[in-house]
Amino acid sequence: MSDKQIFYDTDVDLSFRAKLLTKRMAVYGILIFWAIICLFPIYWTITTSFKLAPDVMKGNMVPWVDYLPKWKGWKSIGLSPDTIWTESTVRAEFLKRIINSAYAAVGSSTIALILGSLAAYGLSRFRYKFGFMRNPDISFFFLSQLILPPVVLALPFLVLYKELALLDTRIGLIMLYALTVLPIVIWIMRDQFASIPVELEEAALVDGLSIWKSFFTIVLPVALPGMVAAFILSLVLTWNEYFFAALLTSTDAKTLPVMVASQTGSQGINWWSMAALSGAAIFPLLIIGIVLERYIIKGMASGAVK
Amino acid sequence: MKVELYNHIMKQQFSRRKLLKGAAGAGAVAAVSSIGTGMNMRPAWASSSLRAALLKVPGVGTGSPTDADWQKVGEMTLGPTKEVIKEGEFKGVKLRFMGLNNQNLHNLLFRGFLKPWEKYTGATIEWIDLAQADYNARLQQSIATKTVDFDIIEMGAPFEGDVTGRGLASEMPDWVKTVIDMDDYVGYLKAPVGTWGGKTYRISIDGDCHNFNYRTDYFDNKDFAAAWAAEGHSGAWEVPNTWQKVQEVTKFLKGKKDPLTGLDANGYLDPLKGWGGFGFYFLGSRATAYAKHPDDPAWLFNAEDMTPRVNNAAWVRAIQDVLDVMDAQPADQINADPGTTGFSQFLAGTGSMLSWWGDIGSNAKTSDTSVVGDVTGFSILPGSDDVWNHKAGKWDTLASGPNYAPNMAYIGWGVYVMATVDSDSKKRKAAWSAAAHLGGKDISLWASAYPSGFQPYRKSHFDSSEWIEAGYDEAYINDYLASEGDSYNHPNAAIEPRIPGIFQYYSVAEDELAKIYAGQYGSAQEGADAIAAAWEKITDQIGRESQIKLYRSSLGL
Amino acid sequence: MSTETDLLYVVTSDNISPRRAAFGRMLVRASVGILFLTATTQLLFEYKLISFGFENWRPVLYAYIFWAICLCAAQVIVRGEQGKRVLFVLPAVLFVVSMVVFPLLFGLSISFSDWNLASIDGRKFNGFDNFRQMWADPFYWNALKNMIYYTLAIVIEYAIAFGLALLLNSEIRAQKFFRVTFLLPLMLSPVAVSWMVGKSMMEVRFGPLARLARWVGWEQPSFFGSPEIARATMMMMDAWTFIPFMMIMILAGLQAIPKEVQEAVKIDGASAWQSFWHVTFPLMLPISITAILIRIIFKLKIADIIINVTSGGPGGATDSVTSFIFREYRDRSNVGYGTLLAMVYLVLIVVAITIFMKLVDRWMNPRY
Repeated sequence: MSDKQIFYDTDVDLSFRAKLLTKRMAVYGILIFWAIICLFPIYWTITTSFKLAPDVMKGNMVPWVDYLPKWKGWKSIGLSPDTIWTESTVRAEFLKRIINSAYAAVGSSTIALILGSLAAYGLSRFRYKFGFMRNPDISFFFLSQLILPPVVLALPFLVLYKELALLDTRIGLIMLYALTVLPIVIWIMRDQFASIPVELEEAALVDGLSIWKSFFTIVLPVALPGMVAAFILSLVLTWNEYFFAALLTSTDAKTLPVMVASQTGSQGINWWSMAALSGAAIFPLLIIGIVLERYIIKGMASGAVK
Repeated sequence: MKVELYNHIMKQQFSRRKLLKGAAGAGAVAAVSSIGTGMNMRPAWASSSLRAALLKVPGVGTGSPTDADWQKVGEMTLGPTKEVIKEGEFKGVKLRFMGLNNQNLHNLLFRGFLKPWEKYTGATIEWIDLAQADYNARLQQSIATKTVDFDIIEMGAPFEGDVTGRGLASEMPDWVKTVIDMDDYVGYLKAPVGTWGGKTYRISIDGDCHNFNYRTDYFDNKDFAAAWAAEGHSGAWEVPNTWQKVQEVTKFLKGKKDPLTGLDANGYLDPLKGWGGFGFYFLGSRATAYAKHPDDPAWLFNAEDMTPRVNNAAWVRAIQDVLDVMDAQPADQINADPGTTGFSQFLAGTGSMLSWWGDIGSNAKTSDTSVVGDVTGFSILPGSDDVWNHKAGKWDTLASGPNYAPNMAYIGWGVYVMATVDSDSKKRKAAWSAAAHLGGKDISLWASAYPSGFQPYRKSHFDSSEWIEAGYDEAYINDYLASEGDSYNHPNAAIEPRIPGIFQYYSVAEDELAKIYAGQYGSAQEGADAIAAAWEKITDQIGRESQIKLYRSSLGL
Repeated sequence: MSTETDLLYVVTSDNISPRRAAFGRMLVRASVGILFLTATTQLLFEYKLISFGFENWRPVLYAYIFWAICLCAAQVIVRGEQGKRVLFVLPAVLFVVSMVVFPLLFGLSISFSDWNLASIDGRKFNGFDNFRQMWADPFYWNALKNMIYYTLAIVIEYAIAFGLALLLNSEIRAQKFFRVTFLLPLMLSPVAVSWMVGKSMMEVRFGPLARLARWVGWEQPSFFGSPEIARATMMMMDAWTFIPFMMIMILAGLQAIPKEVQEAVKIDGASAWQSFWHVTFPLMLPISITAILIRIIFKLKIADIIINVTSGGPGGATDSVTSFIFREYRDRSNVGYGTLLAMVYLVLIVVAITIFMKLVDRWMNPRY
């Protein structure tokens, strides 16, 4: 709370250079402080994966200064330099899980993006009437799916999937995940389309394009940043999903978060392995976050302020 | 160094195989069938060198074993399988194995153990890994929604009521009994444990009881001894043998410094946070000496009507004991589950007394996380000066001295084959062969000596000379094995009832205990009454009549 | 935008022949017939009334998908241009309805039954017994109370997120670096976070946070010792992951404010505080409401980190409704009761959020 006051209150008199300097320092101070808060846990995870038990117990923090990094954590999932070329049951397992996670996350996000974008476009351009439901009701119907607590659906889905022979299949997981992220996609894309002037399509329609043609060739390219933002958010949510994955999968389709969570148990925690596995689990999303970050903000920006 | 060791072992193993091959067929058969009479009867040339070599993988003091070690062990112990199964006999058979996925334990071990088995028999195994906390739920779901999607399961005896009671498991063929040498099991693991309705289902791979782990450097410490006398405590400064003493020592240690780490000293460690039901065992360990009367087999429920005893004077006293020493626990203990007390605290040098399964003992020496390997001692759980006589409603003081009642918590993991394989005789044989490989006599020796999640459970495990040869300290291992063996064989052992839904009782008790420990009830009695009320509800829900019947049969009544 | 007509005018000059329309209708009827046939066959087979059938219900699913495709196609065939518009929304509607309606109905039927998975008798209908039990269940009410605390914490999260967004939007060096950095916590898996932050960094002996706390002067740091501190710790961990989410939404909003507006304010000579309070904040109100609403919804599902870090302890102080139901459901296999609790929770939050949205709507004019 206090940070914005520091910034704005002192803005009153700009003629004092000293004051300006103080202000700059305060701003950068806060920025750096928050950056540490954001980065330290990641740093901690990575460094811990190179520790041995005594290093963990002593709470050593800086590699090569406090302790000598060792590959033990990575060795336990078969990803250290000396094990990477040998046969390892653990690594095979890990890779299987990571591939499953990738399938589930990308597949469901894609489905949600397609269905969601279409629905959002329709809702932002046309008036519908399904029975008593009009546009706001339909919107609310979609968004209300977001509210559904996962526990409500847990057992019914177990039974449903059993009957449909979808238990422990990737496609089953993809369908369910698509359902859970669809509301978010619709939410973002609706704002996105609302911010695109209707005149754009009207011009296209006058030129003789059909609605669908104008949607694909004119509207979609403009809405691309929003779609990327929606896609990334969906990826984040589905990649990290634990509850349903633990419930509905066992062997073939089990995902990475389930593997991470199940690392713990009766024998205490081998922090180095835990850290290595956690690190490997968050790594893909870190990359995505770093590379595609600008799209997220750009995508959310449109339609935000009217 | 390690490579040489492996080569050495491999050579030894090879020679053994050659010898077996070279010997007359009858001789080989004789060698196998003689397994049935315990290790001393086995041909010394085969068993002792193999067993000694086994225990040197990777060797005590060289850190935790890894995947490569497990595969070696699996390879080395394949002998009994090769006697009964032809190479490639199960080609094309696919089995699904469900078990726990604790770090470097359980399924991870089994994968390594079974890899050579798969290679030899040609069968393949798919793995269903579960976190300990997900285990009960997943199993119950599979049963209730009829989605049993596994052929072999690693399961604890408490779940036998849920699984074998419904005919979901496959009965053990006789040839398996020979291969795994069932006679070698310690007494309490023999029937009725592992059987249901007179049929045998279980291959034991673990024996479980809580024993008492303590820090020898605390009780050898002269400063503590002097302070103990100076503060006017009665008796010498020694390892407490009753809970009354444990309480006194724990309160005494508050404010002192740990001789090993120099941090704050702590006495007995109570896990105050639940652990998916497993946390209740720890209150149980405090309570059994109060609650298990030698004249009465029942201690958790009344045998007649399943009325809970958890709110009787004995259990309430145990709860009160926990409350009394809460301020002597390490900081943040309210958030410590048994995994924390055992592995993050005790093995890391925090706290001086602990009830736990035997894993602590084998981990103290061989785990990467342990710093207390040289200063840990063991005994059976403390007793009590008096014991609650539930029927008479009064505290009895026994003529024989303190009442001891080791807590046989969980009765150990076993491997069970599901009825899903029964329709296919090849698959059935394969599943039982895989299970028998895991439950083999030699492999179990290795598993009980190294971090595996399993502890000694066979008479042959209690031959300390094998452990000593593997690099264990003689005094240490004798101490450890004695605490385990004395617990198993104790005439007044408190054996857990094998009734359906037992973990539901534990789970709800954990929730209430958490509230008691957080001070949300007026008294321990009030909280215990709440647990009892919740238990009655569960009994009614599951079906009182059938629960009474199963409970009585599990007590041997 | 409360116009009664479409926002996008489409000149429709379709000439749909009666035969074409009839074909479309027939297509729908035929696919309904197939769906009905497969479903009935399977149902009868399931109850052993007929001897032939499918191994599972998968074929019925295929029939359903076929019907859905036919229905979509028929829209265009029968209604022409008008149908093409419906086609935008229809697939999503069909998808959601099929994925939600059956499970919800089934869930509803479970919630009125006594179903303990360990009971050999299986499921028994027990009317409102579960409801009565809920009424007297202190754990559930306690969890609901905690949810209120958790939800209230959003105010502080929002303030921090707004502050960070303002900073990021001001003229600073290395803006890109800070933006990416601030976003990262959102990307991390809650399971990994609860282990590496909740258990490792907050470990009282060697965890860096505990050491920091000791250095600051908290002699016996204990992040989960007392109910209040434990709850606050959980809130902070949750906030850590989700502040970036609100932050990017607000930042997106800030960047969308036209430059002219800010320049005009500057020329007027308003102080920074004035310009924030009278211009920026009101402009940010709609996006703020949206951000807070989404955040509330996510907050109401909070479970992963609680399950992993405290299991609701000490004494239920950190229990969320989801984590409590999770225990009821998973550890105690009490499916009937657990599902009822979940259903009640669903009703409660639907009501609460509807009221919230109506209030917001009334307060600042509808956004739809």
